[in-house]
Amino acid sequence: MATRLQFENCCEVGVFSKLTNAYCLVAIGGSENFYSSFEAELADVIPVIKTSISGIRTVGRLCVGNKNGLLLPHTTTDQELQHLRNSLPDQVLVQRIDERLTALGNCIACNDHVALTHIDLDKETEDMIADVLKVEVFRQTIASNIIVGSYCTFSNRGGLVHPHTSIEELEELSTLLDVPLVAGTVNRGSELLAAGMTVNDWIAFCGSDTTATELSVIESIFKLREVQPGVTMHEMRKSLFDSFL
Amino acid sequence: MRLEKCWFCSSTVYPGHGIQFVRNDAKIFRFCRSKCHKNFKMKRNPRKVKWTKAYRRVHGKDMTQHYYIYMLFQDSTFEFERKRNRPERYDRNLAESVLKAIPKIDKIRVSREEAHHKNRMKGKKQKLQMEAVRELKQGISLVKAPSVLQKDPSLTLPKVKVGVSRQQSEDNHPMEE
Repeated sequence: MATRLQFENCCEVGVFSKLTNAYCLVAIGGSENFYSSFEAELADVIPVIKTSISGIRTVGRLCVGNKNGLLLPHTTTDQELQHLRNSLPDQVLVQRIDERLTALGNCIACNDHVALTHIDLDKETEDMIADVLKVEVFRQTIASNIIVGSYCTFSNRGGLVHPHTSIEELEELSTLLDVPLVAGTVNRGSELLAAGMTVNDWIAFCGSDTTATELSVIESIFKLREVQPGVTMHEMRKSLFDSFL
Repeated sequence: MRLEKCWFCSSTVYPGHGIQFVRNDAKIFRFCRSKCHKNFKMKRNPRKVKWTKAYRRVHGKDMTQHYYIYMLFQDSTFEFERKRNRPERYDRNLAESVLKAIPKIDKIRVSREEAHHKNRMKGKKQKLQMEAVRELKQGISLVKAPSVLQKDPSLTLPKVKVGVSRQQSEDNHPMEE
């Protein structure tokens, strides 16, 4: 189920928030609207934490994480690190890494099993990702863009990539990640998917500029649509007929 | 807020002081004052500049932090100040004990540094003594004539008798009356 919202009149929701299956990080805004939208959907299920990273509010693009861990850039202050450690459940490992590329959210895209990284990432960082997030790491480009973290977003059930990705590359990535992928846009044709929306296994948040078409694509590929019995019967009937024929 | 160390002289940089330089490879250099910054711009190696902590550590003048192969002094009190990247959940008891321990660790570190200095300066007194004796032997001719030295060969300064005249005052007779 996808929700549309804005952060201080900006539609780039994925920039100011980080959503995973185990927790959600939200930026500190002047009004509490952004935070309350997340809280309304997620409060009972996972912790929703207000934070900044090295004093900067674009938390979604600076950090990367999944249900196993959270990686932060070296510019994160000690107080923020302690705040995150105190607020997150104990299964989530919080780690600060020394890496030249500090915008980890732009360089790394991951779900609970697989991660795609920027080509120029350090070897130690790659080992740290595999260790803390417990994922398999692949260095890839998407439609010849090296900042994979911005141009694709995927959860454990599906993924969305840059609209100019070729079909061969789409199939290759799909086999690599083991999830169905589709090329699409968000926020009225913006190619920066991870910046425009944030998703986990059961919910997605998009910018308010997202059109109904884009929203339906998102809901179908991430399997967020609530399954109605009539629909499943209809789909099953079609496949049954196919097998008979 | 974090108290960082100056890259050049290793002193603490307090908030509101110094300059931070970020190089193109994203390495950050922090300086406590313009003296260190200017030395860095001149491309001086802090390990060769005498007043820096780096020089003093490398040349064994101060207690070292790390285990050097040729300098068998390892100090664990510096381990406490290391930057940690994996935090632990806040525990009030732990925080209390850490705050209590900090002045103790400081005291231990200071006493170890003093012991190191004392060890380094051991034998200085004897060395000074020997040098003084040698100087006296060489330069005794400046204070004692060679002829006198033959008569009295001690290396002490000669004793000179100076007569002090004592005037018998005749003016105090009115008192005796």
